[in-house]
Amino acid sequence: MKLNYIIREGIVGIRRSTMAFMNSVFSVTIALVLVAVGVLFVDNGLEFIGQLQADYDLEIFLENEADAGIKQELATIISEYPGIFRMDYLSKEDAAALYNAEFGEDVLSLLDDNPLPSSFRVTFEETYRSTNYIQAFINSMEALPMVDEIMFKRDLFDRVQGIMKSIYVVAAAAIFLIILSTVFLTSNNLRLMILSRYDFIETVRLLGASDFMVKAPFFLEGGLLGFIGGVFAILIISGFEFALKYFHIIDLPSRIMNHPELMIGTLLFGIALSSLGMLKTVRRMLRFVA
Amino acid sequence: MIQFDRVHLRYDSGISLRDLNFRVDPNEFIYLFGPSGSGKSSILRLIYMELFPNAGEVNVFNINSIRARRQDIAKVRQNIGMVFQVSRLLPDRDVYANIALPLELLGFPSKEVRQKVTHIADELNIRSRLNHYPHELSGGEERRLSLARASINLPDILLVDEPTAHLDEISKKSVMEAICRIHDRGTSVIFATHDDSLLRQHNARVLTLDSGTIIEDRIV
Repeated sequence: MKLNYIIREGIVGIRRSTMAFMNSVFSVTIALVLVAVGVLFVDNGLEFIGQLQADYDLEIFLENEADAGIKQELATIISEYPGIFRMDYLSKEDAAALYNAEFGEDVLSLLDDNPLPSSFRVTFEETYRSTNYIQAFINSMEALPMVDEIMFKRDLFDRVQGIMKSIYVVAAAAIFLIILSTVFLTSNNLRLMILSRYDFIETVRLLGASDFMVKAPFFLEGGLLGFIGGVFAILIISGFEFALKYFHIIDLPSRIMNHPELMIGTLLFGIALSSLGMLKTVRRMLRFVA
Repeated sequence: MIQFDRVHLRYDSGISLRDLNFRVDPNEFIYLFGPSGSGKSSILRLIYMELFPNAGEVNVFNINSIRARRQDIAKVRQNIGMVFQVSRLLPDRDVYANIALPLELLGFPSKEVRQKVTHIADELNIRSRLNHYPHELSGGEERRLSLARASINLPDILLVDEPTAHLDEISKKSVMEAICRIHDRGTSVIFATHDDSLLRQHNARVLTLDSGTIIEDRIV
Protein backbone atom coordinates (compact mmCIF):
# COMPACT_ATOMS: atom_id res chain seq x y z
CA MET A 1 0.00 0.00 0.00
CA LYS A 2 1.35 3.37 -1.01
CA LEU A 3 -0.45 4.91 1.97
CA ASN A 4 1.58 2.68 4.30
CA TYR A 5 4.76 3.95 2.70
CA ILE A 6 3.67 7.58 2.97
CA ILE A 7 2.68 7.29 6.64
CA ARG A 8 5.75 5.29 7.61
CA GLU A 9 8.12 7.50 5.67
CA GLY A 10 6.51 10.62 7.17
CA ILE A 11 7.10 9.32 10.69
CA VAL A 12 10.47 7.70 9.97
CA GLY A 13 11.63 10.95 8.37
CA ILE A 14 11.38 12.59 11.80
CA ARG A 15 13.64 9.94 13.33
CA ARG A 16 16.17 10.25 10.53
CA SER A 17 16.69 13.95 11.04
CA THR A 18 15.74 14.45 14.66
CA MET A 19 17.84 17.56 15.21
CA ALA A 20 16.56 19.34 12.11
CA PHE A 21 13.01 18.33 13.05
CA MET A 22 13.39 19.62 16.61
CA ASN A 23 14.80 22.88 15.25
CA SER A 24 11.77 23.26 13.03
CA VAL A 25 9.38 22.38 15.88
CA PHE A 26 11.10 25.06 17.94
CA SER A 27 10.72 27.68 15.24
CA VAL A 28 7.06 26.73 14.59
CA THR A 29 6.40 26.87 18.36
CA ILE A 30 7.94 30.33 18.61
CA ALA A 31 5.99 31.45 15.58
CA LEU A 32 2.71 30.18 16.99
CA VAL A 33 3.40 31.62 20.44
CA LEU A 34 3.95 35.01 18.80
CA VAL A 35 0.71 34.80 16.83
CA ALA A 36 -1.40 33.49 19.74
CA VAL A 37 0.09 36.01 22.21
CA GLY A 38 -0.67 38.73 19.67
CA VAL A 39 -4.30 37.65 19.46
CA LEU A 40 -4.59 37.31 23.24
CA PHE A 41 -2.94 40.67 23.78
CA VAL A 42 -5.51 42.31 21.54
CA ASP A 43 -8.36 40.41 23.14
CA ASN A 44 -7.25 41.34 26.64
CA GLY A 45 -6.65 44.93 25.56
CA LEU A 46 -10.18 45.19 24.23
CA GLU A 47 -11.60 43.59 27.38
CA PHE A 48 -9.69 46.09 29.48
CA ILE A 49 -10.88 49.05 27.45
CA GLY A 50 -14.39 47.62 27.50
CA GLN A 51 -14.29 47.68 31.29
CA LEU A 52 -13.74 51.43 31.14
CA GLN A 53 -17.11 51.77 29.51
CA ALA A 54 -20.21 52.00 31.65
CA ASP A 55 -22.22 48.81 32.11
CA TYR A 56 -24.80 50.36 29.86
CA ASP A 57 -24.75 52.86 27.00
CA LEU A 58 -27.62 55.14 28.00
CA GLU A 59 -30.42 55.54 30.55
CA ILE A 60 -34.00 56.60 29.78
CA PHE A 61 -35.67 58.29 32.74
CA LEU A 62 -39.44 58.21 32.95
CA GLU A 63 -41.83 60.78 34.31
CA ASN A 64 -43.29 60.06 37.75
CA GLU A 65 -46.76 59.81 36.27
CA ALA A 66 -45.87 56.86 34.07
CA ASP A 67 -48.08 53.93 35.10
CA ALA A 68 -47.39 50.22 34.75
CA GLY A 69 -49.20 50.03 31.39
CA ILE A 70 -47.11 52.83 29.89
CA LYS A 71 -43.90 51.31 31.25
CA GLN A 72 -44.80 47.96 29.74
CA GLU A 73 -45.51 49.62 26.40
CA LEU A 74 -42.18 51.51 26.48
CA ALA A 75 -40.31 48.35 27.44
CA THR A 76 -41.73 46.59 24.37
CA ILE A 77 -40.86 49.50 22.05
CA ILE A 78 -37.28 49.69 23.36
CA SER A 79 -36.61 45.97 23.33
CA GLU A 80 -37.93 45.62 19.77
CA TYR A 81 -35.72 48.44 18.49
CA PRO A 82 -33.05 46.95 16.21
CA GLY A 83 -29.59 46.58 17.72
CA ILE A 84 -30.61 46.46 21.38
CA PHE A 85 -28.36 43.98 23.20
CA ARG A 86 -29.81 44.40 26.71
CA MET A 87 -32.48 46.43 28.45
CA ASP A 88 -32.95 46.58 32.24
CA TYR A 89 -35.83 48.26 34.03
CA LEU A 90 -35.01 50.12 37.26
CA SER A 91 -38.00 50.99 39.43
CA LYS A 92 -37.99 53.97 41.79
CA GLU A 93 -37.17 51.55 44.62
CA ASP A 94 -34.25 50.06 42.67
CA ALA A 95 -32.93 53.55 42.03
CA ALA A 96 -33.17 54.36 45.74
CA ALA A 97 -31.32 51.17 46.61
CA LEU A 98 -28.60 52.05 44.10
CA TYR A 99 -28.32 55.55 45.56
CA ASN A 100 -28.03 54.03 48.99
CA ALA A 101 -25.33 51.62 47.84
CA GLU A 102 -23.38 54.33 46.05
CA PHE A 103 -23.59 57.23 48.56
CA GLY A 104 -24.23 55.33 51.78
CA GLU A 105 -27.34 57.33 52.60
CA ASP A 106 -30.98 56.39 52.48
CA VAL A 107 -32.71 58.87 50.21
CA LEU A 108 -36.00 58.36 52.07
CA SER A 109 -34.48 59.47 55.34
CA LEU A 110 -33.41 62.74 53.71
CA LEU A 111 -36.70 63.46 51.96
CA ASP A 112 -40.22 62.41 52.69
CA ASP A 113 -40.82 61.06 49.27
CA ASN A 114 -38.59 59.10 46.83
CA PRO A 115 -37.66 61.68 44.16
CA LEU A 116 -35.69 59.24 42.03
CA PRO A 117 -37.39 58.35 38.74
CA SER A 118 -37.78 54.89 37.31
CA SER A 119 -35.71 54.24 34.21
CA PHE A 120 -34.58 51.85 31.46
CA ARG A 121 -30.88 51.13 31.05
CA VAL A 122 -30.04 50.22 27.49
CA THR A 123 -26.98 48.54 25.98
CA PHE A 124 -26.46 48.25 22.23
CA GLU A 125 -25.00 45.39 20.25
CA GLU A 126 -21.37 45.91 19.28
CA THR A 127 -22.13 46.39 15.58
CA TYR A 128 -24.79 49.05 16.30
CA ARG A 129 -22.58 50.94 18.72
CA SER A 130 -22.03 54.20 16.84
CA THR A 131 -22.82 57.73 17.94
CA ASN A 132 -25.09 58.40 14.96
CA TYR A 133 -27.14 55.28 15.49
CA ILE A 134 -27.52 55.93 19.21
CA GLN A 135 -28.46 59.57 18.55
CA ALA A 136 -31.19 58.41 16.16
CA PHE A 137 -32.45 56.06 18.87
CA ILE A 138 -32.47 58.90 21.39
CA ASN A 139 -34.44 61.11 19.01
CA SER A 140 -37.11 58.48 18.51
CA MET A 141 -37.33 57.77 22.25
CA GLU A 142 -37.66 61.45 23.15
CA ALA A 143 -40.77 61.61 20.99
CA LEU A 144 -42.48 58.98 23.12
CA PRO A 145 -44.86 59.98 25.95
CA MET A 146 -43.73 59.81 29.54
CA VAL A 147 -40.05 59.91 28.62
CA ASP A 148 -38.58 62.62 30.81
CA GLU A 149 -34.89 62.61 29.97
CA ILE A 150 -32.28 60.47 28.28
CA MET A 151 -28.77 60.37 29.69
CA PHE A 152 -26.03 59.49 27.21
CA LYS A 153 -22.36 60.24 28.02
CA ARG A 154 -21.44 61.00 24.48
CA ASP A 155 -17.87 62.24 25.12
CA LEU A 156 -16.81 59.16 27.06
CA PHE A 157 -18.56 56.92 24.58
CA ASP A 158 -16.82 58.57 21.61
CA ARG A 159 -13.41 58.39 23.28
CA VAL A 160 -13.71 54.70 24.15
CA GLN A 161 -14.99 53.87 20.67
CA GLY A 162 -12.06 55.77 19.13
CA ILE A 163 -9.54 53.92 21.27
CA MET A 164 -11.11 50.57 20.39
CA LYS A 165 -11.08 51.38 16.68
CA SER A 166 -7.38 52.31 16.89
CA ILE A 167 -6.64 49.09 18.76
CA TYR A 168 -8.39 47.08 16.05
CA VAL A 169 -6.34 48.73 13.30
CA VAL A 170 -3.00 48.47 15.12
CA ALA A 171 -3.75 44.90 16.18
CA ALA A 172 -4.73 43.82 12.68
CA ALA A 173 -1.51 45.31 11.28
CA ALA A 174 0.60 43.83 14.07
CA ILE A 175 -0.89 40.35 13.72
CA PHE A 176 -0.43 40.52 9.94
CA LEU A 177 3.24 41.43 10.44
CA ILE A 178 3.68 38.71 13.04
CA ILE A 179 2.16 36.11 10.71
CA LEU A 180 4.35 37.31 7.86
CA SER A 181 7.50 37.08 9.94
CA THR A 182 6.52 33.66 11.31
CA VAL A 183 6.02 32.36 7.76
CA PHE A 184 9.46 33.68 6.84
CA LEU A 185 11.10 32.29 9.99
CA THR A 186 9.48 28.89 9.58
CA SER A 187 10.07 28.56 5.85
CA ASN A 188 13.79 29.16 6.32
CA ASN A 189 13.99 26.40 8.90
CA LEU A 190 11.95 24.01 6.79
CA ARG A 191 14.21 24.72 3.82
CA LEU A 192 17.26 23.79 5.88
CA MET A 193 15.51 20.67 7.12
CA ILE A 194 14.65 19.52 3.60
CA LEU A 195 18.06 20.46 2.20
CA SER A 196 19.55 17.92 4.58
CA ARG A 197 17.39 15.30 2.83
CA TYR A 198 18.30 16.27 -0.73
CA ASP A 199 20.09 12.96 -1.38
CA PHE A 200 17.04 11.01 -0.34
CA ILE A 201 14.76 13.04 -2.60
CA GLU A 202 17.12 12.64 -5.55
CA THR A 203 17.52 8.91 -4.99
CA VAL A 204 13.82 8.07 -4.68
CA ARG A 205 13.07 10.15 -7.74
CA LEU A 206 15.74 8.22 -9.67
CA LEU A 207 14.22 4.98 -8.41
CA GLY A 208 10.95 5.88 -10.10
CA ALA A 209 9.02 7.73 -7.40
CA SER A 210 6.37 10.07 -8.76
CA ASP A 211 6.40 13.64 -7.50
CA PHE A 212 3.38 12.79 -5.37
CA MET A 213 5.23 9.94 -3.66
CA VAL A 214 8.15 12.26 -2.95
CA LYS A 215 6.01 15.09 -1.61
CA ALA A 216 3.35 13.21 0.37
CA PRO A 217 5.58 11.99 3.26
CA PHE A 218 7.03 15.48 3.66
CA PHE A 219 3.54 16.96 3.69
CA LEU A 220 2.57 14.52 6.45
CA GLU A 221 5.77 15.21 8.35
CA GLY A 222 5.05 18.93 8.11
CA GLY A 223 1.55 18.36 9.50
CA LEU A 224 2.96 16.44 12.47
CA LEU A 225 5.58 19.11 12.99
CA GLY A 226 2.94 21.85 13.00
CA PHE A 227 0.70 19.89 15.36
CA ILE A 228 3.51 19.32 17.87
CA GLY A 229 4.56 22.98 17.57
CA GLY A 230 0.92 24.01 18.15
CA VAL A 231 0.59 21.85 21.26
CA PHE A 232 3.85 23.26 22.65
CA ALA A 233 2.70 26.81 21.90
CA ILE A 234 -0.61 26.28 23.73
CA LEU A 235 1.18 24.73 26.71
CA ILE A 236 3.68 27.60 26.89
CA ILE A 237 0.97 30.26 26.74
CA SER A 238 -1.19 28.44 29.31
CA GLY A 239 1.82 28.08 31.60
CA PHE A 240 2.61 31.76 31.22
CA GLU A 241 -0.98 32.78 31.97
CA PHE A 242 -1.02 30.47 35.00
CA ALA A 243 2.27 31.98 36.25
CA LEU A 244 0.87 35.51 35.91
CA LYS A 245 -2.06 34.54 38.12
CA TYR A 246 -0.02 32.38 40.52
CA PHE A 247 2.44 35.16 41.25
CA HIS A 248 -0.43 37.69 41.54
CA ILE A 249 0.95 39.84 38.73
CA ILE A 250 -2.30 40.05 36.80
CA ASP A 251 -5.32 37.83 36.36
CA LEU A 252 -6.00 38.12 32.64
CA PRO A 253 -9.68 38.44 31.78
CA SER A 254 -9.19 36.53 28.55
CA ARG A 255 -7.05 33.36 28.53
CA ILE A 256 -6.27 30.85 25.84
CA MET A 257 -8.01 28.09 27.82
CA ASN A 258 -11.27 30.08 27.64
CA HIS A 259 -10.96 30.20 23.87
CA PRO A 260 -11.21 26.75 22.28
CA GLU A 261 -11.46 28.52 18.92
CA LEU A 262 -8.06 30.12 19.49
CA MET A 263 -6.52 26.78 20.50
CA ILE A 264 -7.94 25.05 17.43
CA GLY A 265 -6.86 28.01 15.32
CA THR A 266 -3.31 27.81 16.69
CA LEU A 267 -3.13 24.08 15.93
CA LEU A 268 -4.61 24.49 12.44
CA PHE A 269 -2.37 27.44 11.66
CA GLY A 270 0.67 25.43 12.82
CA ILE A 271 -0.34 22.42 10.73
CA ALA A 272 -1.08 24.53 7.66
CA LEU A 273 2.05 26.64 8.07
CA SER A 274 4.46 23.73 8.26
CA SER A 275 2.79 21.21 5.95
CA LEU A 276 2.28 23.78 3.18
CA GLY A 277 5.75 25.17 3.87
CA MET A 278 7.23 21.69 3.48
CA LEU A 279 5.24 21.09 0.32
CA LYS A 280 6.41 24.36 -1.21
CA THR A 281 10.04 23.67 -0.33
CA VAL A 282 9.98 20.11 -1.71
CA ARG A 283 8.29 21.33 -4.88
CA ARG A 284 10.98 23.92 -5.32
CA MET A 285 13.68 21.30 -4.75
CA LEU A 286 12.08 18.89 -7.22
CA ARG A 287 12.63 21.50 -9.94
CA PHE A 288 16.34 20.74 -9.64
CA VAL A 289 15.88 16.97 -9.64
CA ALA A 290 15.25 15.35 -13.02
CA MET B 1 12.54 -0.82 -26.55
CA ILE B 2 15.20 1.89 -26.68
CA GLN B 3 15.86 3.97 -29.77
CA PHE B 4 18.54 6.65 -30.23
CA ASP B 5 18.07 8.80 -33.36
CA ARG B 6 20.80 11.25 -34.30
CA VAL B 7 21.39 12.12 -30.67
CA HIS B 8 23.69 14.99 -29.78
CA LEU B 9 24.51 15.91 -26.23
CA ARG B 10 26.52 18.96 -25.33
CA TYR B 11 27.84 19.73 -21.84
CA ASP B 12 28.94 23.22 -20.85
CA SER B 13 32.49 21.87 -20.83
CA GLY B 14 32.20 20.58 -24.41
CA ILE B 15 30.41 18.09 -26.63
CA SER B 16 29.83 14.66 -25.13
CA LEU B 17 27.84 12.68 -27.71
CA ARG B 18 27.52 13.21 -31.47
CA ASP B 19 25.09 11.78 -33.94
CA LEU B 20 24.33 8.64 -31.98
CA ASN B 21 22.07 6.07 -33.65
CA PHE B 22 21.26 2.67 -32.20
CA ARG B 23 18.41 0.59 -30.86
CA VAL B 24 18.12 -1.93 -28.09
CA ASP B 25 15.74 -4.89 -28.41
CA PRO B 26 14.19 -6.92 -25.61
CA ASN B 27 16.51 -9.36 -23.82
CA GLU B 28 19.67 -7.96 -25.41
CA PHE B 29 22.95 -7.78 -23.52
CA ILE B 30 24.94 -4.76 -24.66
CA TYR B 31 28.34 -3.59 -23.55
CA LEU B 32 29.05 0.11 -23.89
CA PHE B 33 32.77 -0.10 -24.14
CA GLY B 34 35.22 2.76 -24.23
CA PRO B 35 37.69 4.82 -22.27
CA SER B 36 36.74 7.33 -19.59
CA GLY B 37 35.00 10.35 -21.08
CA SER B 38 33.85 8.48 -24.18
CA GLY B 39 30.19 9.04 -23.29
CA LYS B 40 29.12 5.70 -21.74
CA SER B 41 27.58 7.17 -18.59
CA SER B 42 25.93 9.94 -20.60
CA ILE B 43 24.14 7.32 -22.73
CA LEU B 44 22.87 5.58 -19.61
CA ARG B 45 21.70 8.88 -18.15
CA LEU B 46 19.91 9.71 -21.41
CA ILE B 47 18.09 6.37 -21.27
CA TYR B 48 17.28 7.03 -17.65
CA MET B 49 16.04 10.50 -18.58
CA GLU B 50 18.33 12.16 -16.11
CA LEU B 51 19.81 13.99 -19.12
CA PHE B 52 18.07 15.15 -22.27
CA PRO B 53 19.57 15.42 -25.76
CA ASN B 54 20.36 18.80 -27.33
CA ALA B 55 19.41 17.37 -30.69
CA GLY B 56 17.91 14.12 -31.91
CA GLU B 57 15.53 11.83 -30.07
CA VAL B 58 15.76 9.25 -27.33
CA ASN B 59 12.73 6.97 -27.13
CA VAL B 60 12.37 4.56 -24.23
CA PHE B 61 9.29 2.31 -24.12
CA ASN B 62 7.86 4.57 -26.86
CA ILE B 63 8.22 7.63 -24.65
CA ASN B 64 10.20 10.46 -26.18
CA SER B 65 12.43 11.92 -23.50
CA ILE B 66 12.06 15.50 -24.77
CA ARG B 67 8.28 15.35 -24.65
CA ALA B 68 8.07 13.22 -21.49
CA ARG B 69 6.20 14.69 -18.55
CA ARG B 70 7.50 14.15 -15.04
CA GLN B 71 5.04 11.30 -14.42
CA ASP B 72 6.15 9.66 -17.70
CA ILE B 73 9.76 9.81 -16.50
CA ALA B 74 8.74 8.18 -13.22
CA LYS B 75 6.95 5.41 -15.19
CA VAL B 76 10.02 4.84 -17.38
CA ARG B 77 12.26 4.60 -14.33
CA GLN B 78 9.94 2.12 -12.66
CA ASN B 79 10.74 -0.26 -15.53
CA ILE B 80 14.47 0.38 -15.50
CA GLY B 81 16.94 -0.81 -12.90
CA MET B 82 20.01 1.33 -12.53
CA VAL B 83 23.33 0.60 -10.87
CA PHE B 84 25.07 3.94 -10.65
CA GLN B 85 28.80 4.48 -10.86
CA VAL B 86 28.54 6.29 -7.52
CA SER B 87 26.39 3.90 -5.51
CA ARG B 88 23.61 6.34 -4.51
CA LEU B 89 22.58 4.03 -1.69
CA LEU B 90 20.86 5.63 1.25
CA PRO B 91 23.49 5.62 4.01
CA ASP B 92 21.02 6.03 6.88
CA ARG B 93 19.01 2.94 5.91
CA ASP B 94 20.05 -0.65 6.32
CA VAL B 95 20.50 -3.06 3.43
CA TYR B 96 16.94 -4.36 3.74
CA ALA B 97 15.43 -0.88 3.56
CA ASN B 98 17.62 0.06 0.59
CA ILE B 99 16.55 -3.01 -1.40
CA ALA B 100 12.90 -2.66 -0.42
CA LEU B 101 12.61 1.01 -1.40
CA PRO B 102 11.63 0.58 -5.11
CA LEU B 103 8.89 -1.89 -4.16
CA GLU B 104 7.57 0.35 -1.42
CA LEU B 105 7.41 3.26 -3.84
CA LEU B 106 5.26 1.09 -6.09
CA GLY B 107 2.95 0.21 -3.19
CA PHE B 108 3.74 -3.50 -2.79
CA PRO B 109 2.29 -5.01 0.42
CA SER B 110 4.91 -5.41 3.14
CA LYS B 111 4.61 -9.23 3.20
CA GLU B 112 5.43 -9.42 -0.50
CA VAL B 113 8.24 -6.91 -0.07
CA ARG B 114 9.76 -9.09 2.66
CA GLN B 115 9.55 -12.20 0.49
CA LYS B 116 11.11 -10.51 -2.54
CA VAL B 117 13.88 -8.84 -0.55
CA THR B 118 14.94 -12.05 1.21
CA HIS B 119 14.77 -13.94 -2.08
CA ILE B 120 17.00 -11.51 -3.97
CA ALA B 121 19.33 -11.16 -0.98
CA ASP B 122 19.73 -14.95 -1.02
CA GLU B 123 20.35 -14.89 -4.75
CA LEU B 124 23.03 -12.19 -4.48
CA ASN B 125 24.50 -13.65 -1.33
CA ILE B 126 23.90 -10.66 0.95
CA ARG B 127 21.19 -12.22 3.16
CA SER B 128 23.44 -12.13 6.20
CA ARG B 129 24.02 -8.41 5.66
CA LEU B 130 20.36 -7.32 5.58
CA ASN B 131 20.58 -5.55 8.94
CA HIS B 132 23.83 -3.79 8.15
CA TYR B 133 24.31 -0.30 6.79
CA PRO B 134 25.97 0.41 3.42
CA HIS B 135 29.15 1.75 5.02
CA GLU B 136 29.59 -1.60 6.77
CA LEU B 137 29.74 -3.51 3.47
CA SER B 138 32.72 -4.45 1.32
CA GLY B 139 33.01 -3.05 -2.22
CA GLY B 140 31.65 -6.26 -3.77
CA GLU B 141 28.76 -6.42 -1.32
CA GLU B 142 27.92 -2.80 -1.99
CA ARG B 143 27.73 -3.47 -5.75
CA ARG B 144 25.57 -6.53 -5.15
CA LEU B 145 23.33 -4.43 -2.93
CA SER B 146 23.01 -1.87 -5.75
CA LEU B 147 22.18 -4.73 -8.14
CA ALA B 148 19.61 -6.12 -5.73
CA ARG B 149 17.91 -2.71 -5.47
CA ALA B 150 18.04 -2.23 -9.25
CA SER B 151 16.52 -5.61 -10.07
CA ILE B 152 14.11 -6.21 -7.18
CA ASN B 153 11.04 -5.22 -9.22
CA LEU B 154 12.09 -7.28 -12.27
CA PRO B 155 12.71 -4.34 -14.59
CA ASP B 156 12.63 -4.67 -18.37
CA ILE B 157 16.03 -2.99 -18.65
CA LEU B 158 19.01 -3.02 -16.32
CA LEU B 159 21.60 -0.26 -16.71
CA VAL B 160 24.92 -0.84 -15.00
CA ASP B 161 27.67 1.73 -14.93
CA GLU B 162 31.17 0.33 -14.27
CA PRO B 163 29.83 -2.14 -11.71
CA THR B 164 33.14 -3.99 -11.36
CA ALA B 165 35.45 -0.99 -11.04
CA HIS B 166 37.85 -1.20 -8.10
CA LEU B 167 36.79 -4.75 -7.23
CA ASP B 168 39.08 -7.76 -6.75
CA GLU B 169 38.75 -10.72 -9.12
CA ILE B 170 36.45 -12.76 -6.86
CA SER B 171 34.06 -9.87 -6.24
CA LYS B 172 34.19 -8.98 -9.94
CA LYS B 173 33.20 -12.53 -10.84
CA SER B 174 30.33 -12.66 -8.37
CA VAL B 175 28.96 -9.32 -9.62
CA MET B 176 29.22 -10.49 -13.26
CA GLU B 177 27.44 -13.73 -12.41
CA ALA B 178 24.67 -11.83 -10.71
CA ILE B 179 24.20 -9.57 -13.75
CA CYS B 180 24.12 -12.56 -16.08
CA ARG B 181 21.49 -14.25 -13.91
CA ILE B 182 19.33 -11.14 -14.10
CA HIS B 183 19.77 -11.13 -17.89
CA ASP B 184 18.81 -14.82 -18.06
CA ARG B 185 15.48 -13.94 -16.46
CA GLY B 186 14.65 -11.88 -19.56
CA THR B 187 15.92 -8.44 -18.59
CA SER B 188 17.85 -6.43 -21.18
CA VAL B 189 21.21 -5.34 -19.83
CA ILE B 190 23.24 -2.32 -20.89
CA PHE B 191 26.64 -2.56 -19.28
CA ALA B 192 29.06 0.38 -19.39
CA THR B 193 32.69 -0.57 -18.90
CA HIS B 194 36.21 0.32 -19.89
CA ASP B 195 37.51 -3.15 -18.90
CA ASP B 196 37.93 -5.25 -22.05
CA SER B 197 38.51 -8.44 -20.03
CA LEU B 198 34.80 -8.39 -19.18
CA LEU B 199 33.75 -8.47 -22.84
CA ARG B 200 34.90 -12.06 -23.16
CA GLN B 201 32.83 -13.28 -20.23
CA HIS B 202 29.42 -13.10 -21.84
CA ASN B 203 28.08 -13.36 -25.39
CA ALA B 204 26.88 -9.91 -26.12
CA ARG B 205 26.68 -6.98 -28.47
CA VAL B 206 29.45 -4.45 -27.98
CA LEU B 207 29.09 -0.79 -28.86
CA THR B 208 32.55 0.71 -28.80
CA LEU B 209 32.62 4.40 -28.12
CA ASP B 210 35.27 7.00 -28.63
CA SER B 211 34.86 10.73 -28.02
CA GLY B 212 31.08 10.47 -27.99
CA THR B 213 30.59 8.48 -31.19
CA ILE B 214 30.01 4.79 -31.81
CA ILE B 215 33.03 3.55 -33.74
CA GLU B 216 32.10 -0.12 -33.74
CA ASP B 217 28.93 -2.21 -33.26
CA ARG B 218 29.76 -5.94 -33.11
CA ILE B 219 28.70 -9.23 -31.54
CA VAL B 220 31.22 -11.10 -29.38
